[in-house]
Amino acid sequence: MFTFKRQMFGFMDLLRFKKMIPKRRKALEEGSSKPLAKSYRVNETAHVLHPGYQKAKLVAIREETSDTKTFTFETERPLYFRAGQYVTLSCNVGGSFVSRPYAISSAPAAALDNRVNITVKKCGFFSGYLCDEAKEGDVFTLGDPSGDFCYDGVRDSKTVVGVAGGSGITPFYSLAQAIADGSEDCSLVLFYGARTEKDLAFKTELDALAGEKIKVVYVLSDEVCAGYEHGFVSAELIKKYVSDDFTLMACGPEAMYRFLDGEAEKLALPRRRFRKEANCVGVRDVKPADCSITVHIGFETYTVKADVRETVLTALERAGLRVPSKCRAGGCGFCHSRLVSGEFSIAGEDKRRLADAKFGYFHPCCSYPDADMEIEVPKMK
Amino acid sequence: MKQYDAVVIGAGNGGLTAAIRLAQGGAKVLLVEKHNLPGGFATSFRRGRFEFEASLHELNDFGTPDNAGDVRVLFDELGVTDKIEWFPIPDAYRVISQAEKIDATMPFGVDAFVEKMERYVPGSRKSVRRFFDLAEEVRLAQAYSNSVGGKTDPKYMVEHYGNFVRCGSYSVNEVLRALHMPKRAREILGAYWCYLGAHLDDMSFAHYASMVNRYILRGAMSPKSRSHEISLAMVERIRELGGDVLMNTAAVSILTGDDGVRGVVLDDGTEIATRHVVANCSPHVVYGQLIENVPERIVRATNARKFSGRGFTMFLGLDKSADELGIENHNYFLYDTMDSVAQYDKMRTIEENSVQATVCLNRAQPDCSPEGTCMMYFTTLYMEDDWARIKPQAYFKAKEFVANRMIDRFEKDTGAKIRDHIEEISVATPMTYARYCGHPQGVIYGYESQYWDGLMPRLQMMGEDYKNGIRGLRFASGWSMRLSGYSSAYFAGDIAGRQTVGDIKREG
Ligand SMILES: Cc1cc2nc3c(=O)[nH]c(=O)nc-3n(C[C@H](O)[C@H](O)[C@H](O)COP(=O)(O)OP(=O)(O)OC[C@H]3O[C@@H](n4cnc5c(N)ncnc54)[C@H](O)[C@@H]3O)c2cc1C
Repeated sequence: MFTFKRQMFGFMDLLRFKKMIPKRRKALEEGSSKPLAKSYRVNETAHVLHPGYQKAKLVAIREETSDTKTFTFETERPLYFRAGQYVTLSCNVGGSFVSRPYAISSAPAAALDNRVNITVKKCGFFSGYLCDEAKEGDVFTLGDPSGDFCYDGVRDSKTVVGVAGGSGITPFYSLAQAIADGSEDCSLVLFYGARTEKDLAFKTELDALAGEKIKVVYVLSDEVCAGYEHGFVSAELIKKYVSDDFTLMACGPEAMYRFLDGEAEKLALPRRRFRKEANCVGVRDVKPADCSITVHIGFETYTVKADVRETVLTALERAGLRVPSKCRAGGCGFCHSRLVSGEFSIAGEDKRRLADAKFGYFHPCCSYPDADMEIEVPKMK
Repeated sequence: MKQYDAVVIGAGNGGLTAAIRLAQGGAKVLLVEKHNLPGGFATSFRRGRFEFEASLHELNDFGTPDNAGDVRVLFDELGVTDKIEWFPIPDAYRVISQAEKIDATMPFGVDAFVEKMERYVPGSRKSVRRFFDLAEEVRLAQAYSNSVGGKTDPKYMVEHYGNFVRCGSYSVNEVLRALHMPKRAREILGAYWCYLGAHLDDMSFAHYASMVNRYILRGAMSPKSRSHEISLAMVERIRELGGDVLMNTAAVSILTGDDGVRGVVLDDGTEIATRHVVANCSPHVVYGQLIENVPERIVRATNARKFSGRGFTMFLGLDKSADELGIENHNYFLYDTMDSVAQYDKMRTIEENSVQATVCLNRAQPDCSPEGTCMMYFTTLYMEDDWARIKPQAYFKAKEFVANRMIDRFEKDTGAKIRDHIEEISVATPMTYARYCGHPQGVIYGYESQYWDGLMPRLQMMGEDYKNGIRGLRFASGWSMRLSGYSSAYFAGDIAGRQTVGDIKREG
């Protein structure tokens, strides 16, 4: 082995080595005595982009159609999001702590002024509560803007073809506003499907936004009407209005997605050019049966009743437990929990991380109990 | 009130390892993590049909059962090796600087590395060989230092690790020049510098040599199901040993008194009585946000340190295979210049920085994504807080600006064509990292490996740093004595965990 030497005499190198400690000691002693920061700019911006749960006061309710209302919330803190994202809204309904994801229907810019709109079609438990019982002044809990049903300038074509079915219009209405105010720079050809003209929400607003970058085509399935397309959003209809490369974004019911899958094939759209927003997991069609779930949350243990037709998450919420949830479609992983024992079935495709299955983790929002279970769920933060 | 022998704050690599060590040492331990998943940066996420690795390019110093590296030895001791499936990384790296006409692909294995370098830079063999001799001595000296808990005997050091002591106070560039290594060879050998985030005039030789050696000597490995697999394996291990683990649970304050640590308060107000804390978060966060009335001596020592790089990563899921797209290698470093000092300078601003460390995971693990697709990660570091001036309204466009530049550069430097095949994209910025792990300004590499605050003085001053801190409080993370990186954070957890077991015996 050779002898390393940098200075003429090796002992000088040794001395230098010895001085490293006194040198560092001195540097530490000579640091500034200024109090350490409590927060940092980048972290503060991050807190606007991901504000976490906060209180939101319902300040206005507006009827859009006979069964659809827009709710305006005033948040405690400013937030920002990308058009197309959703928030979870939660509150106590009859002893259950319930939460649901809703696409934001207002513009991202408004959220910086603490204003967030969601538009809700009355169709289920929580939406029914919102439409019938919620009133101005009520206080809810609002979660982080989430999801990636958004235009991406790197990935997507400059032309977005939006297909909205019913209340699936909400993310596109946000996107249209964002294009109009310059926060997004794509152009949008929006096919907005509804049963009849009366079922179209935001028609006046969308017509006002229409222009060079925004075009709206209304498609009525149950009504033939001058100035409207009739039927479903088909490949043919899309081709009638769009000729160049585009990214197809769809938000609506599952039946619409199944139809569009066929149309996308006719258009020979590669997978990267077709994006669908996920829908919440519903009940499953099996014989009703009860089972029991033992739940560990933090240092506490609870036992709750469950119905095998409903998801584990629903059982926990019904029992009044506050547990984390976001997308309710199995994809975001926010409700990531651990199975101690028991069995469950996943609704649709398994969207867990690979290692989760191996180590017994699952997503309560998209899993049905098949028998008694014991699980560990992180608390809602 | 709940009582624990020790509370570990944060379930990143350092926190997970420390918790296992504590439980193995017989301590009743509670691990709290503010996020809903363990691992800190060591995690993964799904987009469409892809599962992206959040941070790990490759885990160094793992080796094989019969040529075990230090990390494998540690994992064996922790009892987690067999819970994880591993695959090897094929080549060390390919470094390209078009402007300076460098394009070198370097293999693992010291002999292979030395010979390949000789082909690129005739006449480099002897000096590169000597580099590895020194590096090996650095490794052995560190192992010795580890075995005595940092309390090294100077005489023993000089006798057994003389070369290490003689080179240990110099920067990388100082030593490589002293070895008369040809400039080109120095540049190619120095390519890993951005993994440590300090330029080669500043970075201590011992630190760099130790890392390069860990990569080249034993090759690199990765877990089959991304680093999330390691993190979950460690949580399982903690539970097997009787430790408690709480996710979605932040520590909001560490209670201290005349006799140091006395408890931890959690975000829901729960107070935990404990006399020992291992913090996986940074001293800046602990002393700035979790502890009241921090003594001035500690404030000074914390302020003295310099934040290292703030992270940025673009993740791409592509709808063609690596072969079809012309992506040849697993791991690329793309530089403007091979002069790390000049390059470091250009990495201060969003406008100027276009350095990237890029990985195509399929080149190491072909089946990591569905057939006919591949996944890539592009990472860079910002050496100053340029992202602090980006307002929320400008955020998405700033992301896009950098993302586009990364794609352009990759296509230009390698000839691969990826732009028209992006099926999924996700971009993490300093804001993402700030939020995810809570580190100040989105720093991902802890305190910079500056010359005065490099690996050796940190290791040697472990005992002194603890005495000058708060009784019962130790740090285990990329911010601590082993500096940043996966293996370093695991080792930090190992050291701090074992030390805390000793503290509990000594201090009660
Ligand atoms: C994009 C990227 C690429 C990288 N590539 C590599 C690579 O190829 N090879 C390599 O070796 N290294 C790599 N690294 C570095 C490596 O990931 C880190 O050095 C290492 O994971 C740090 O581990 P840590 O123990 O410091 O914990 P961290 O990962 O920093 O985690 C800290 C944890 O503490 C939690 N926490 C913080 N405050 C609190 C609180 N008050 N209460 C509760 N919990 C809290 C956080 O939520 C977090 O989970 C990379 C990093 C990034 C970001």
